[in-house]
Amino acid sequence: MEEILRMEHITKKFGEFYANKDINLDVQKGEVHTLLGENGAGKSTLMNILFGLYQPTDGQIYLHGKRVAIDSPATAVKLGIGMVHQHFMLVEAMTVFENIILGDRNTRGIFIDKDARRKEILELSARYGLDVELDKPITDIAVGAQQRVEILKALYRGAELLVLDEPTAALTDMEVEGLFRIMKKLTGEGKSIIFISHKMREVLHISDRITILRAGETVKTLNRGETTGEELANLMIGRELAPSHYEKVSESREPVIALSQVDYHKQSKHNGLNGVTLRVGRGEILGIAGVDGNGQSQLAQLVTGVIAPEGGTVDLKGSKVATFSPNGFISENVSHIPEDRNKMGLVGNMSVMENIVLKETDDPQFSDAKGWHLKKRAIRAYAEKMQQKYDIRCQSVLQEARNLSGGNQQKVILARELENEPDLLVAVHPTRGLDIGATRFVHDTMIAARDKGCGVLLISADFDEILEMSDRIVVMFEGAVMGEYSGINPPIDQISLAMAGK
Amino acid sequence: MNKNKLFSVLVPLVSVLLAFLIGCVIMAVLKANPATALGALWKGAFGTKRNVGTTLARSTPLIFTSLCACFAYRCGVFNLGGEGQFLMGSIACCYVATQSGITGLPGIVLCLAAGALAGGLWAAVPGLLKIYRGQNEMIISIMLNYVATLFMGVVYTNWLREGSVPQTMSVPNEVKLTRLFGLRCTSAFIIAVVIGLLIYYFLFYTSMGFQLRAVGLNMTASEFNGFSVKKYILFSFLFSGVIAGIGGSAELLGTQFRLINGFGAGYGFDGVAMALIAQLHPLAAILVAIFFAALRVGSTTMQAATGVPTSVSEIIQALVIVFTVAGLALVKLPEFKAFLERLFPARKEA
Repeated sequence: MEEILRMEHITKKFGEFYANKDINLDVQKGEVHTLLGENGAGKSTLMNILFGLYQPTDGQIYLHGKRVAIDSPATAVKLGIGMVHQHFMLVEAMTVFENIILGDRNTRGIFIDKDARRKEILELSARYGLDVELDKPITDIAVGAQQRVEILKALYRGAELLVLDEPTAALTDMEVEGLFRIMKKLTGEGKSIIFISHKMREVLHISDRITILRAGETVKTLNRGETTGEELANLMIGRELAPSHYEKVSESREPVIALSQVDYHKQSKHNGLNGVTLRVGRGEILGIAGVDGNGQSQLAQLVTGVIAPEGGTVDLKGSKVATFSPNGFISENVSHIPEDRNKMGLVGNMSVMENIVLKETDDPQFSDAKGWHLKKRAIRAYAEKMQQKYDIRCQSVLQEARNLSGGNQQKVILARELENEPDLLVAVHPTRGLDIGATRFVHDTMIAARDKGCGVLLISADFDEILEMSDRIVVMFEGAVMGEYSGINPPIDQISLAMAGK
Repeated sequence: MNKNKLFSVLVPLVSVLLAFLIGCVIMAVLKANPATALGALWKGAFGTKRNVGTTLARSTPLIFTSLCACFAYRCGVFNLGGEGQFLMGSIACCYVATQSGITGLPGIVLCLAAGALAGGLWAAVPGLLKIYRGQNEMIISIMLNYVATLFMGVVYTNWLREGSVPQTMSVPNEVKLTRLFGLRCTSAFIIAVVIGLLIYYFLFYTSMGFQLRAVGLNMTASEFNGFSVKKYILFSFLFSGVIAGIGGSAELLGTQFRLINGFGAGYGFDGVAMALIAQLHPLAAILVAIFFAALRVGSTTMQAATGVPTSVSEIIQALVIVFTVAGLALVKLPEFKAFLERLFPARKEA
């Protein structure tokens, strides 16, 4: 077989953080090579390097045995690399035909030779079974069809190697079947495909070879015939169980929050909740394990009042919640470490000080006359106290929050959310993108809150974090609860199977 | 000193300098002595007590409209309808002033209140449509400006027309605002400055103002932290409309006395530009408005004394806006930050 792509010792550092560390990958002509890994495993970084969006800190890329420097997506396209992003890059108001020829320099004078282009596209589409209606605007065609347009666009620009970034995430089962037929056809004609996914069933069905990434490093490359879903799941999440630093709690106390048969956008597999029943007791950490995008975001927003359920009931501290609003939950002493700290947690253009007191400026501690006069000195003194206590490293509390490192931003949020001893803490990916020191600090702080009687709902795509922290573990898959396990000596095999939907 | 704060002061100052420099080149090309011309400009704006009064009088409506823009933008909503709200305020004020017969201080207060109410209601339209229907507030508020202008046309050509000239009757002397020290400038200027101070206090010294700014800077985070985002959006629209409405009333009672074709034209968008130059700081907005008024008032003297046409002053005004907006965008560029670091490596701190 002929080797089309080889990436050697690819390393990409962001600051001190390794997004990719010494990754090796090779793709043969006519194969589907799958990159399998959790969110944050480094798949996207690696593909962005291949497509010229990032420059690697170290390492080489060879195409057809020749070393290449890919400094921009334009170069990548010229070299025959096509990428279909998870979120399509189409101009919605334009027709399929216009989208495909967009940016094409192959013109006759200043005019586009539309008939010739059209003929060319129709040939391609017939050859690979990429059935699209050329004259419909993008807005009028289904998601599956939009994806075919993206693939056609890449082929039209001469792609020999196609990168499909989670192509099945938005598709129905029928459409997935269609996509797989197209992929078979493409590889049959000598094209190569890098397929990115974390859905075990699909991966086993379509791949010729599978490379597993974890925490920015290559774990293993396997042939399809030689492996099982269970092995893949274990490799993907890392099966060695390090003993937890923390003492686990086993007795269950009265629940702070209890969900019963909660539905939200039930029909959506990846952004909904389907009959979720769970409870978080005082003084315990309930960990929600699961591959990202199986309803965890919706669960977090529901138990903080951002969205309201469409069915089922939510009991907060023993009484049924009637109206869902963030303010209502906050006044019931529910704290939230949201999944996107910059977008949802902090006001980036405000100072560290202002972010620390964000929710509490009405409090007599910080303002007189029912909020009509802020006690600026008291606020500053309090913020400086919090800066010490939560080890927030900044030039001064007047520094804008957006200029802080991720770890320090998270500490600002911790100071705000935990200082008032909440009854329930909802923490979503609380250590995503943080270094080891900051991660440890966040974990210690959460454990301390638990020991003071706070119920903690920890949602994380980092399985190690779930194992380390949780007193009980609930696995979510496609919006539903797959099972509940003890956090003391958790049955990892069962949990990883549940995460894969089995 | 905080680098961002330094730039936010430096950029407008440098922009003004650059604009004047180019203005001087134009004057020189017109064969006038730039120094003499600028001297005349200064004298016209601030040379005598009378001229200062005129400048402050001219600045008054600009202060109102730029405060109107500041307040809405602080909450993250783009109210481009300052002009319409200004006009609706003046129309309501004109009705009360000419038809109610109430005079003296109660009359003035009633007139201003009517103007404030009308301005607020006019601003509520885009606010409500944004909140409940997701409509773009900029387009709707701009469109409503035309509606207000045409509506004012109906008022001064028909409903409140006086005599053969298409203009309304004058407001009675008893409700006219008092002149300060016998100058052109009236108590409207005081009202404008007081409102500016109140807004400053509200935004930076009250809990509500703090939350309103948070909503303006990050709506999602504000919602997650329990602020009622919709309430703040509607409030900021309403109140910015109220400010513009009072501005329109004060202009009517203090300077113009009647509605006539061209009343208040351009003030709305002038206010938007000035709010941007002032970077949404209410006190800075007052200063910027006075600066622009000075350029406008002084240019007449400059034209009379040196023959440099008033349009040169307009060019300078436009350049100040262009340079400030461009400059503020420039200092945010990563390239510019990298350039600074190369320039002052020693000043870099941990």
